[in-house]
Amino acid sequence: MRNTWLIVKREYLARVRTRSFVVLTLLLPGIAAAAFIVPLKIATMKSGRRTPHLVVVTSVPQLGELVRSQLLAQDQSNADDDDDTAAETKENAAPKYVIDLDTDSTDAERNSLRRKIASGAIDGYIWLSADGIAQRKAVYSSGNATDFLDKSDLSRALVRAFAEQQLTTRGVSPGQTAELFKPVKLDIVRVQNGLESKSSGGMFLLIFGMVMLLYMAVLFYGISVMRSVLEEKNTRIMEVLLSSTTPTELMTGKLLGVGAVGLTQMAIWMAMAGTLALPSLAAYPSLSDIHLSPLTLGAFVIFFLLGYLLYSTIYAGVGAMSTTEQEGQQLQIVVVLPLVAAVFMLGPIIRAPDSPIAIWTSMFPFFSPLLMYARIAVQPPPLWQIGLSLALLLGTIAILIALCARIYRVGVLMYGKRPNLPEIVKWLKYAKT
Amino acid sequence: MNAVELNHVCKKYDDFVAVSNLSLAIPAGKVYGLLGPNGAGKTSTLRMMIGIIIPDSGTISVLGEPFRRAHTEQIGYLPEERGLYRRMKVLEHLVFFAQLKGLSAELARQRALRWCERLELTTWTEKKVEELSKGMQQKVQFIAALLHDPALIILDEPFSGLDPSNANVLKDVLLELKKDGKTLLLSTHRMDQAERMCDSICLINHGRALLDGDLRQIKGQFGMRHVQIKYEGDARFLQEKRLVESFNDYGNYVEVRLAPDADPQQLLHLAASGARLGRFELMEPSLEEIFLDAVGKSNA
Repeated sequence: MRNTWLIVKREYLARVRTRSFVVLTLLLPGIAAAAFIVPLKIATMKSGRRTPHLVVVTSVPQLGELVRSQLLAQDQSNADDDDDTAAETKENAAPKYVIDLDTDSTDAERNSLRRKIASGAIDGYIWLSADGIAQRKAVYSSGNATDFLDKSDLSRALVRAFAEQQLTTRGVSPGQTAELFKPVKLDIVRVQNGLESKSSGGMFLLIFGMVMLLYMAVLFYGISVMRSVLEEKNTRIMEVLLSSTTPTELMTGKLLGVGAVGLTQMAIWMAMAGTLALPSLAAYPSLSDIHLSPLTLGAFVIFFLLGYLLYSTIYAGVGAMSTTEQEGQQLQIVVVLPLVAAVFMLGPIIRAPDSPIAIWTSMFPFFSPLLMYARIAVQPPPLWQIGLSLALLLGTIAILIALCARIYRVGVLMYGKRPNLPEIVKWLKYAKT
Repeated sequence: MNAVELNHVCKKYDDFVAVSNLSLAIPAGKVYGLLGPNGAGKTSTLRMMIGIIIPDSGTISVLGEPFRRAHTEQIGYLPEERGLYRRMKVLEHLVFFAQLKGLSAELARQRALRWCERLELTTWTEKKVEELSKGMQQKVQFIAALLHDPALIILDEPFSGLDPSNANVLKDVLLELKKDGKTLLLSTHRMDQAERMCDSICLINHGRALLDGDLRQIKGQFGMRHVQIKYEGDARFLQEKRLVESFNDYGNYVEVRLAPDADPQQLLHLAASGARLGRFELMEPSLEEIFLDAVGKSNA
């Protein structure tokens, strides 16, 4: 016991004191925040490009005028869907396009417009010939393929312009026309525990993010355990340690020590998220529904610890079996597979947390740290499911620790050739210490 | 009393026999040499004495009792493959090792500082291990093996990697420990060191004991049948089969094993007739000669 504690303490201090721990602990939330906030900033920022210059060519000036006003209005109506306040700021914003009207639809004019595109005087033109209008056909020509003018925006503007013109010719007043085309406001509501809450997908992102963090943490600390076993093997510290302590104490101490480092890091991150990140996120109305319940946070800590114990135990065994880091890396791919598989199942399970596939995959011990956690975060499943999943996970961990301790005991003193499967089975049979 | 006793100990790794039916007794308070060529089974034998590996059969007793884990607190072990945490500071490292042996942090610190002073490491105690030279790391490791004041000290190749002056300091420390009543077990293939320091030896090869016992008695068994000769000139006397059974040329001198019933006086005359002699000394065989002879015979 005393030895285990000493080893835990050494492993913990040796890691927490390193510069890389400090850097990673401070840097990762920074990167995460940047990944979240920068796209939001960019989306709300005006692009610094010069205003595109378009020409609408049609022999029907009234239609040309309608197309122009639709294209110019489009920007504003998009903003209306998201946020009512955006319209106000729109008033003093620069127009999105410069649009000229041209009623000369001869071939000569078309050639001159082509030359203007080539020389850069204009960016593109919309060609509406008399025949075209009758057949509801239009041509849009521009200088580059990846265009500033969205195809669906243009097509929507044209449809509406055609429609308004038709309505006008049939005697509908412009006021009535505007009334007809008024957008419908759509709200998306999520039902959780019988309560309704507004959702715009932010919660999905958050849960996905938390599970990915769980995944990365389990993997990162598992590999860290493997590397430190390899280091002790390669620097031959193992032999000195084993003259004072048992392999099982050594392995337990290492697992707990590295796990404690992981918890420390998580605690720091959560504190940072609570004090810095969440309030600043609240400034974005579309993400205002993001919140973390104490249950979600508590489950995160528990499933991190259990997932870490499960995988790092295997990693300790892999480290003991290997001699070099390359060998370890090759072997560890097998260990990562179930974790990666769980990540692939994540999307469907978050969307349908009560489906049979979600229920059974979240019972499987190699998936449950990620998948059961995801289910709890989306919508807490029945208690018996959580209980069964935890019991299976704990049982598997106990068995793995017993098995890997045996591999560890023999493996840590083996140098040179990597053992094959029959040899490892033989190691497992060496019962005594 | 014997500090360590091995009775019919065997250890196999798969099909490779590392130690085969080995019995030996290490008297308390003596310097004991476990000698043998590379791969003879020395390290396996040592590892079994401190419980790193378990013998397949046979018994081991330490300090008069069958081996228990608790005994490791009374054993100091310097493995052949040195290992330290490269990123740890020297003093921190020593305290950690001593705590694993049951010392309190404070006592471990005091003793570590005292030993560092003794071995001229005082200015390095707050440095990281990776900043130390190989020889200094070796001294750190050596201190780590002694901090808990063990009654039995097991040293696997303690002098390898040390320059002569550091080797000399180490030798003095070891002899002092012996004076304090500690038992020292040296495993080495440096016969000159073993010959100078050991009271008793056990010579093993292929996991079996070839010779075992008091060094003087062992050498005595071979009698005064060796001659060390330093000469210049005609070396034909070495080929005289009636007098010379075998010889070993060390460069500066040659060690001759006399043929049975040969008269050393005759060899002296023969040698002096052709060569100019610097030295002609009748003596017991050196440990090295005994070693080479015994190992050669067991490999044959």
